[in-house]
Amino acid sequence: MFTKDNNILVKDIMLNLESFPIVQEKLILKETLEKMNQFKLGIACIVNPKNVLTGVFTDGDFRRLLLKEQKPLGQLFMEDTIDVSRKKFISIDPSEKLTRAFDLMESKKIWDLPVTDVNCKIIGLVHLHPVVKALI
Amino acid sequence: MKEINVGYGNVKKVCIGENKPLVFIGGPCAIESKEHSFKMANLIDKICSKLKIPWIFKSCYDKDCRSAPDSFHGVGIEGGLKILSEVREEFNIPVISDFSEVEWAKDTGKVCDFVQVPAYLCRQTSILRAAAETGRPIHLKKGQFMSPWNMKNSVRKLESFGCNEILLADRGTFFGYNQLVNDMTCLPIMKSTGYPVCFDATHSIQLPTSMGNISGGQREYIPNLVRAAAACGINALFMEVHDDPPKALSDSNTVLDLEYLEVILTHAKAFHNLKMELQNIYGEDNVHKR
Repeated sequence: MFTKDNNILVKDIMLNLESFPIVQEKLILKETLEKMNQFKLGIACIVNPKNVLTGVFTDGDFRRLLLKEQKPLGQLFMEDTIDVSRKKFISIDPSEKLTRAFDLMESKKIWDLPVTDVNCKIIGLVHLHPVVKALI
Repeated sequence: MKEINVGYGNVKKVCIGENKPLVFIGGPCAIESKEHSFKMANLIDKICSKLKIPWIFKSCYDKDCRSAPDSFHGVGIEGGLKILSEVREEFNIPVISDFSEVEWAKDTGKVCDFVQVPAYLCRQTSILRAAAETGRPIHLKKGQFMSPWNMKNSVRKLESFGCNEILLADRGTFFGYNQLVNDMTCLPIMKSTGYPVCFDATHSIQLPTSMGNISGGQREYIPNLVRAAAACGINALFMEVHDDPPKALSDSNTVLDLEYLEVILTHAKAFHNLKMELQNIYGEDNVHKR
């Protein structure tokens, strides 16, 4: 049973920068997929050299890419991750209430929500499991 | 799209990039003698001046990829670079040569305005490092065994060694044995690295080692391939040219007879200009949005 009136904040439960895949824009897709496997998460956050979040790439994006692109897998693997990533994405401020993050994730049907500061720099990731745990 | 600027000192500067005039890179495959190099540079220069095509003189001092041990190997690095240096001074044109030994890179870069990495060596890290360390723009040929998308690995290697002026060239891809094929999609694919691209027409029609211990070729297809490549948006065209192909000391079965250079360059320039004109009116090709 969720207690939606609790005061837990996003920053209280977000995964820290060492706990989810953050990749540079020009990392080839194959290596991004390996990073996602390494962290066992269905999202990679793509950042520019200033650590600003410029794209996200999810398991769903990969499924859609596979069905849309008819190029050989070897060619697809060589794509710069930024070129195949989603540039329109949502993120949340660390000082937001966790219930707000949960509602957002529910409405967008997503499992992971990047956390960014006022300068759009990546600072964490809200993953659904810890959210559920915190809110139960 | 990045631009590359070829030419140091007093030679005519040549810029290769998008929305720029098509650049011709050409000359005899191997340096045969000072007299022959001067003769060829003079004759090609007259044609390029007439057609207003910026160009770079190409000729190599060492041909390390010959099939037979007794084939002409080249005049050697010292004599060859001296001749190239004299050509650039005499005609005020930039020059290019490849190198196949790491220790030759430095001297090659001292003389040549543009340094070429041979197709067979296009993924050798030590060669790419040596090329980048010359500080010159690099003409990187796609190996006949390489996919165009994997050339990004070689590009990234060059970038990691400090080079950010790269021209990527297609010279055909192995199709079974003793045969090459040109997949024109490799030109936009290589261009997606952000660097300009070149089409090497005379090596593309090569039949590698098809004559036992030397390579054959099908020159008759040069004009078709040149037009196709120009329509695909190349930024430079590469062709080896000789005034007497049967007597050429290297690649005699593939070098273009000088007699046909003017008409082929005329076609290439016309197709290149038409491509630019259409692109400027209708914009970039974009029929597969992501």
